[in-house]
Formats: sequence, C-alpha cells, structure tokens
Amino acid sequence: MSDGGRRHRVAHANEVAEPGDRVIVDVEGQEVAVFNVDGDLHALPNFCPHQAAPLCEGDLTGRMVVGEDGWSWEYVQRGEVVTCPWHGWKFDVTTGENVKDDAVAVPHYEVERDGGDVVVLR
Amino acid sequence: MTQHAAGRARTLDSVDVVVDTDAHVTESVDQLLEYMDPADEGLRRIVEDAAHPEHDIYSVAHPTPPFIHTDAFGDVYGDHPTGTVEAKRSEMDEFDLDYSVLNPTLGLALATVNNDRAAVALAKAYNAWILDQFVDDGRGDILTPVLVPPQAPDKAAEIVDERADEPGVVGVQIPSTGLVPPPGHRWYDPLYEAAEENDLPVMFHSGSGATADIFPVLRKWAETYAEDHAMVHPFTAMWNLTSMLFQAVPERFPDLEFVFQEAGVGWIPYTKWRLDDHYLELSDEVPGLEQLPSKYVDERFHFSTQPLGYTGDHPEQMAKMIELVGPETLMYSSDLPHPDFDPPEELYDRVRGHLDDEAVRGIMGETAADVFDLS
Repeated sequence: MSDGGRRHRVAHANEVAEPGDRVIVDVEGQEVAVFNVDGDLHALPNFCPHQAAPLCEGDLTGRMVVGEDGWSWEYVQRGEVVTCPWHGWKFDVTTGENVKDDAVAVPHYEVERDGGDVVVLR
Repeated sequence: MTQHAAGRARTLDSVDVVVDTDAHVTESVDQLLEYMDPADEGLRRIVEDAAHPEHDIYSVAHPTPPFIHTDAFGDVYGDHPTGTVEAKRSEMDEFDLDYSVLNPTLGLALATVNNDRAAVALAKAYNAWILDQFVDDGRGDILTPVLVPPQAPDKAAEIVDERADEPGVVGVQIPSTGLVPPPGHRWYDPLYEAAEENDLPVMFHSGSGATADIFPVLRKWAETYAEDHAMVHPFTAMWNLTSMLFQAVPERFPDLEFVFQEAGVGWIPYTKWRLDDHYLELSDEVPGLEQLPSKYVDERFHFSTQPLGYTGDHPEQMAKMIELVGPETLMYSSDLPHPDFDPPEELYDRVRGHLDDEAVRGIMGETAADVFDLS
C-alpha cells in the first residue's frame, strides 16, 4: 500500500461522486482507476498481475464466504471487489489484495479530494 | 527403527530405513469368510452362496483379464502362495524393505459392493484377518490401515473407533475408485471425524477392479485392461483430490492428514496448478478454502510413489519431476506383489545425486515413519 508520493490531479470530484463510480485516468503513463467505495476513494493500477489484463475495467462485485453457521454461503463486500474481466481474479479495491491469496496484490494508492479535484498520491 | 537385514547388500547406501507405504496382500473371499464376525452370520450365508462373489457381491469386472502375462493377483514369484505373511516377508527380504504398510487387493473394490451390510461385514472381516495374520506377531514391521466401507460412513466411523488403538494400525484406508458421492461430500464427514479424532491419516487407494459402473473409467468403453489400468489410477486421484479440496475437507478437518496412493507422481504438479488456477478464477465457488489448494497439498497431503512410469532415455526427468512435486510430500511404495511394482532402487537411483541426502532419506522412509508414527 502506498502512503504518499507525488500528487496527481486526475479528475473532477463529480466524476466519482457516487458509490460504485469509477474513472480510469493516466498517471505519468500508467493507467490508474479511481473507485468510489461507500464514499471513500481508492486507486489501483489498471493492470492484473495474472496475465496483464485491464483489471479495473471489470465489474465491481462482492465475494463469497462461508457463513458463521458453517453451512450458508454469504455474499459480502458488495461494491468493494473488482473482478478482472479476463479471468475473474478478484481484488479488494480498498487494499489491492487478491481476495483469495494475499500474496497476490496490486498497489493501492491513496486518493484525496482537494476542492473539486481528485488527487492520486503515487 | 529396525536395522536392515544383513543378508542382501543394500544398494541404497545413504538410506537407513525403507518403508513400503503401499504393500499389498492378495486376500480371497474364503479367507475373509473365516474371519467374519458371528454377528454377521446372515451376510456370511449370502456371500457363501455366491458362486462368483467377486461379481455377485463385489462388482469387479475388467475389460480383459488383468496382467495377462502373469498370475496377476495370485502367486507372482512361484515360490509362495500370496495372501500369507510368509509371502509378504519373503518380498520384504528380497527387496530389503524395513517396514510394510499393507493394503488389500480385492478390498480395493469394496466400493462396488451394492449391499451396504455386506460391505461393512467384509471390511470388518478383512480387518480381523489382516491384524491376526499379518500384524499381530509383535515384530512391528508390518502395519496396516483400517479398511472401511465408503458406502456406510457411520459404520465406517465405528470401525475406526474400534480398531484405532490396536498395535500396528496406522491409518484409515478408503478404497477410492468408484466413490459415489465423491470424497469431498459431507456424506463422509463422520468417517473423517473419526479418523481425525483417532489421529490417523486417511488413505485413498484407487483400483482397476472398481471401474465397472462408475467414473472415472467406465470398463464398458475400455476395450483392454491396458487402457483401463493406465488411466484409472491418475483419473481417480485427480477427481478425488479436486472434490476434497474444493469442498474444503482440509478446512473442515484441520488436523486430518491425507495419503493418496497408486497414481505415481507426474499428475501432482499439473493438478495443483489447475486447482490453484480455478481457485483464483472461480473463487465464488470455493468459499470454504482460505488459501491456495496447493498449499493444503504441500502441508497435509502425501503421495506414495508407485507407479513411477518409464522415462526411457531420460531417467533424470524423474528426479526433476520429484523436485517439482516437492520431495517432502512423497513416500516410497512398491505395490508388491502386483506385477507393476517398483523396487526401491527404481526410485532411489533416480533421485540420489540429484536431491540432497536428507530429501532422499525422507522419500525412501523417514517421511513415512513420521506420517505413520513408526518407532
């Protein structure tokens, strides 16, 4: 997870105003996606470490877990998980980690709202 | 540990202990009938009444006769009748095996027994026979899993509880070809629970006698025994491993250990890669697993090595494959007296010089000593 870096004004805040919104921008030649998850902004590179797919063009989904009763299957983290459009690998947008193997991850960049602008720290 | 016999010069010069983790006996129905529990008299009468119990009690069938070049499941060497401890000991002497972990032959087709009560009675009879005839002589070098009927997991759990503490009992054998439902199903939970509570590994040995009706190889569509036999073992293992991992058996039974038998080694890396791939790609269908399937395999699954297969002019490829599998997951097995057996040198000669001595000692016996708690 990145804790800072250079500030890049990449979008207007109204482009990612609502939960579920996303915008894909260019940051020094790298495609980066900014997501609105429950009102908070998160940024990930638009790149899947599996086979170099445009990860952040995939659906914003949840993930399946076994319920506390050991029997039910529950769908959790709705709107927090981006599913790669090529092979379905799922990454937690709020951390960059693959939801099934935390040894696999993409960088997670901090995002700030600065007036009407969206600023990615990378 | 026993010291190896002084008679035959051991060619495995860097190895102190050799454990044969898949040493067969060739039991007959008549031998089992002698050991059937008096409480099972009704079933005994039915089995006795069968002119061909291998077909009318069990449903063993092959496309063509097994191993037509030899008396496959009878007297392979000509000197001793098999199905006796003397025959097993002569094999151990000839091939310089310090320990043998026994498995059945006909019993590998236990899943084909249609009548659940007969399957339970036959499994109990086998356990009584194998313990009395092979294990109970106090020497401690011949060991056995408890054979259990997969048709009746509740009764199987009782059998495990009853036999687990007997000297020489080192595991639970679930004959693994033709399992319906497959072994990841919660149907088997009582059996896994019993094995886990008794601190015994569950062992899965495939068998070509069990392919008459059920996946993974349907005998009707194999025209020869060669076709059937070549694929039944790896197909069984791949299907069973897939079922158990994706249905999260290792998560549901966190202290249970697993042994897969008679599929060789080459299928393991491919299957691990494929299951890891599906775990990540279809993750919403595998919520019960908390880590890559291959990690469970590396941590808690072991594989007996026979049949290694023939590598032609490239014996070094076997060592590379074993390196790829992970030497610490593998345990030498002979399959004796079956006619596709591997003597210890078949494995040892491939890996010595390629793997370090510790890894070689592990594969040949020390890992098995740990898994089966031999001392």
